[in-house]
Amino acid sequence: MAPIAPRSGDAVFANVERVNAELFTLTYGAIVRQLLTDLEEVEEVNKQLDQMGYNIGIRLIDEFLAKSNVSRCVDFKETAEVIAKVGFKMFLGVSASVTNWDADGTCCSLILEDNPLVDFVELPDTCQGLYYCNVLSGVIRGALEMVSMKTEVTWVRDMLRGDDAYELKVKLLKQVPEEYPYKDDE
Amino acid sequence: MGREVSESCVDNLIIEMVSAYCNRFYESKPDLAARRIEAIGYQVGLQLSERYTMERPRFTDHLEAIKFICKDFWSEVFKKQIDNLKTNHRGTFVLQDNRFRWLTRMSVDTNQTNTDSSLDTAENKETQSASMHLYFPCGIIRGALTSLGIPCAVSADMSNLPACSFVVRIKG
Amino acid sequence: MQFFGGSDISPSPPVTTGSGDNGHMMYIFNRNGVCLLYREWNRPLKTLDAQQDHKLMFGLLFSLKSFTAKMDPTSVEKGNLGLPQLPGQGCSFHSFRTNTYKLSFMESPSGIKIILVTSPKTGDLRESLKYIYNLYVEYVVKNPLYTPGTPIR
Repeated sequence: MAPIAPRSGDAVFANVERVNAELFTLTYGAIVRQLLTDLEEVEEVNKQLDQMGYNIGIRLIDEFLAKSNVSRCVDFKETAEVIAKVGFKMFLGVSASVTNWDADGTCCSLILEDNPLVDFVELPDTCQGLYYCNVLSGVIRGALEMVSMKTEVTWVRDMLRGDDAYELKVKLLKQVPEEYPYKDDE
Repeated sequence: MGREVSESCVDNLIIEMVSAYCNRFYESKPDLAARRIEAIGYQVGLQLSERYTMERPRFTDHLEAIKFICKDFWSEVFKKQIDNLKTNHRGTFVLQDNRFRWLTRMSVDTNQTNTDSSLDTAENKETQSASMHLYFPCGIIRGALTSLGIPCAVSADMSNLPACSFVVRIKG
Repeated sequence: MQFFGGSDISPSPPVTTGSGDNGHMMYIFNRNGVCLLYREWNRPLKTLDAQQDHKLMFGLLFSLKSFTAKMDPTSVEKGNLGLPQLPGQGCSFHSFRTNTYKLSFMESPSGIKIILVTSPKTGDLRESLKYIYNLYVEYVVKNPLYTPGTPIR
């Protein structure tokens, strides 16, 4: 049996259960709004959105792997491409592009020109410093950690802050091999 | 047809929102967590309903508005209609969804025969956190009806998983 | 949760061959070696306590993976034996057979390991293992009440 090739993002997206993006966008917006009320500090909201994303990412990875038929994520370059082309597409219905690779292939940018999270969103001046889409960086970090890649994910460009696209910098810190989990004397 | 996302995005976002409020922000204050989760739902219901009714004439009575929630609104959000609507004609309506989408994957183990007390509390906790997930849809319904000019209180009953009944009590 | 004989689940289960009664045990482990699920159907031998049993199974797979990769004649890169590997790195085995049983194995890149122990006459179970992985995703990971990394109740 030859290994099955990963499915394309379009093919997976066409086959998953889909809902109105409005429900998703408005729910996310309402969560951010409530967090701003409850946590008061914009920095703390950024942190919590990232944490929520991380927790979502560690759940989402298995759905991604099961539905996309991706059977290995060992090479970081390959993995970044798959996230951009298949991962984003199968969940959000839009794909990202990968650019700005550094020389040793451990750091790149994911660029998103169309982002369903921000439909109908305008940030008031009181939200200076808010990374509205911070959940996304958390999801990527969480999902990659589950495939043994420790990363750092940061925003470079943000359309809500007047930039021309959304750009996430993903830096591979280290790949964590699987250790034998039990001690011998246990 | 407008833009779509994977249903999983919505599911996971709600799971994590409920978990963040119940387990991190208000761990020892479930009442407060419930209020916040309901408030998020309220906001969503309000905005969704405003969008869905933009080009509609105003509803003439409460029943009209409730029917709109059961049919059009529910279909937009859950891709099906409410299965059963009951009313006492004095301002209380019961909306039953026989297979409520957000509960279909929830498994609450009700025939646990083990009498171990630690398991019992685990189970109670499970039932409690299951009910936490219902404050969000309750808030959505209250928000939607409020945007139609009907102030109300909404509660939910899920003793018959995956069926779920929402009880709407109109105020005033 | 029901694994074999589910009702409205997608994708549809692969056609099973044989006459039923083939399955002995199933294990699901996560990447930290936690046994998320164990089920047995037909296992007369009961000499170990459950925890010992899970540890032994996990250890067997861990060592086998390491040995099979080490002996891979097609690969240039070779770690030292016992050196930790990344899931999905190098070659990977998917089953072995003894005169009395067959063990089928799959590992996702996220380190979820699914093991079926069946009669030695059982055919290729890779599709079935993938199907179980899909069930795990739909009914465990997406269950709002499930905490990742804990045993499935």
